[in-house]
Amino acid sequence: MKLNICHLYPDLLDLYGDRGNILTLAARCRWRGIETVIQRASLGDKLDFPQMDILFIGGGSDREQSLLVQDLLLRKDDLQAAIGDGLVVLTICGGYQLLGLYYQTADGKKIPGLGILDLWTIAGSQRMIGNVAVELQGISAATLVGFENHSGRTYLGSNLAPLGKVLAGYGNNGQDGTEGVCQGNVFGTYLHGPLLPKNPSFADLLLQKALERRGFTAKMEPLDDRIEILAHQAMLKKLLKNT
Amino acid sequence: MRTWKFWPALWSGKITGIILKLLGRKGTTLSGYVANRLDSGLLRQLAGSYESLIIVTGTNGKTTTANLLAAVLTAAGKQFAFNQAGANLVTGISGALLQNFNWRGRPKAQLALLEVDEATVPKFCAQATPHIAVVTNFFRDQLDRYGELDTTIRLVKDALPEQTLLILNADDPLVAYLGADRAPVCYYGIARTPESQKESRETREAKFCPRCGHTLSYELFHYGQLGLYFCCNCDFRRPIPAVEADQVRQEADGLKFKAGSGNYVTALQGYYNLYNMLAAITVARHLNIAESTIEKALQEFIPQAGRMERFSSPQGDVTLTLVKNPTGFNQVIRAVLAGGRKLRLLIAINDLAADGRDISWLWDVDFEYLGNKDKLVSQVVCSGLRAEEMALRLKYAGLAVEKLVIEHSLDKALEILLSQRKSGEDVFVLPTYTNLFPVRKLLLSRLKAGQSSVARNKVVAEK
Repeated sequence: MKLNICHLYPDLLDLYGDRGNILTLAARCRWRGIETVIQRASLGDKLDFPQMDILFIGGGSDREQSLLVQDLLLRKDDLQAAIGDGLVVLTICGGYQLLGLYYQTADGKKIPGLGILDLWTIAGSQRMIGNVAVELQGISAATLVGFENHSGRTYLGSNLAPLGKVLAGYGNNGQDGTEGVCQGNVFGTYLHGPLLPKNPSFADLLLQKALERRGFTAKMEPLDDRIEILAHQAMLKKLLKNT
Repeated sequence: MRTWKFWPALWSGKITGIILKLLGRKGTTLSGYVANRLDSGLLRQLAGSYESLIIVTGTNGKTTTANLLAAVLTAAGKQFAFNQAGANLVTGISGALLQNFNWRGRPKAQLALLEVDEATVPKFCAQATPHIAVVTNFFRDQLDRYGELDTTIRLVKDALPEQTLLILNADDPLVAYLGADRAPVCYYGIARTPESQKESRETREAKFCPRCGHTLSYELFHYGQLGLYFCCNCDFRRPIPAVEADQVRQEADGLKFKAGSGNYVTALQGYYNLYNMLAAITVARHLNIAESTIEKALQEFIPQAGRMERFSSPQGDVTLTLVKNPTGFNQVIRAVLAGGRKLRLLIAINDLAADGRDISWLWDVDFEYLGNKDKLVSQVVCSGLRAEEMALRLKYAGLAVEKLVIEHSLDKALEILLSQRKSGEDVFVLPTYTNLFPVRKLLLSRLKAGQSSVARNKVVAEK
């Protein structure tokens, strides 16, 4: 068994400990005897979408984000085809916004996104910053914890389902109680912190989906997640006590 | 010209300071707050009264740089106003200056040396024009408080007045860019350290040219984004420093280096402190302080509380040092492993406002460097409000789970650390900001208690 994991633009989008997500996917495979190949791909690098199992795009500062939109637009068709074929995609913060139709800046200018999902983001005047707890919807009964820091308010089209419901924090836009997006095997969220280390069941869900796509339907063996669960529960307890 | 509001503000600020002093408390921030409430333009009047106003700003090393410079100024016999103890926001700065003013509204010194928080620089410069501004470096730190690093840098660049002499770290492209296309400016830097590398594996800022956005190339990395860089696309490159450290040696008893005609032997550890010293030297030379005075002041400088501070105990030393962002932590990890002996660590991570509420930076620290030397690590006690997250980070860095202990209470964590230590082990305590003073207090009381219990045992044995 082998999984090809691609970390797109790690040199540009590496804010908020994003590499922790990749470390987590790799370690959880290693502990189960699953081989991983990690590709750190930057502007202009060759990408083999059909071979890819998991694609990760993180968040970056505004300047660095604008550098990569052009590069990503050139790869849009290949990416869309791979998504149609079931590629597992995790996008966080800036990466999540890029999946949508556009990002509308404070002065009303619309910067086009990839347009892969029917969602859009509007710059807000106030940053939404703080710890977040989310109850996943549809895909699992688990909770997610993380930290958000964004000024963009993201809205989902009527046929898109959010990743979950906000228990504490702001989520997509601080208004409708939704957080992230979940469409097939494509996930978007504002939770960094990073997300996967202290949400091990969500990390495993991504791995399981990637394995199933390659025909490995057996359930993955459980790991000793005592520290992961302690970190998850500590934050959950702290946040739910405050609400 | 004094406005009428100035006098009640000055006097009430001074009175508040006196009352707090009588109560045995530090009063700079509160007295500054009271005075600023009465006159919001107070800082302008205070700061404008000095013949020479020097500010120190940047992410890391502000306090140490200001303290080093203060030591040099003192050695040179100069009188100056100074905001000691990190009171580096507008209220703290006003409070510190107030104490240096007499009741008739005159400053007691001609020189003021101020540490200014990087996010406070715009507010500060709106009211005062520094004669000299030192900028140490820009690293990712407390993002949630300031928004992104880019914003901070832009605000600092826009705020610094044209006539201010900038003294800048040449090796940090983000800092050096502040000096592009302007005068007067003066740079300091390091030619090479024994650990400078051609390649970097750390998470770092500034991968791109601040001027044109092209990827920056490096002849040499010192650490983080600091090094000898150049842009292949435009003419932006590391400026030639007026003060450059050469023949750098990091030895057990401290750093030794040359810079121009100066020959420095110091008790400070870590290359970040080398930059702090270079900044102080550059300012001191500008003030025409004799080279021998600078050398002597740096040699006699004792590191401040919680910056590689050593505590002695009968079982061996314990070293305490603050950790607050990835680059600083990476440097500490290298210093901790430099001895090559077995290690026992206490890491105490909090996520209060002063620490930074977002602790995702822990995942940008190169703990893998520690994980790769797993055999040298006997134990890591993880403490503070985010103890679990710290333990989790170390697990994913490759440390054996059996070596990790989670203990929220600092007191109990210290008890575990000290009671289980074995001879020949190096012991370090690494707290974030809000854990620093509590753990330091515990160390002081405990190590004193340790000595007295040894003394008691001796008495019992003699009977």
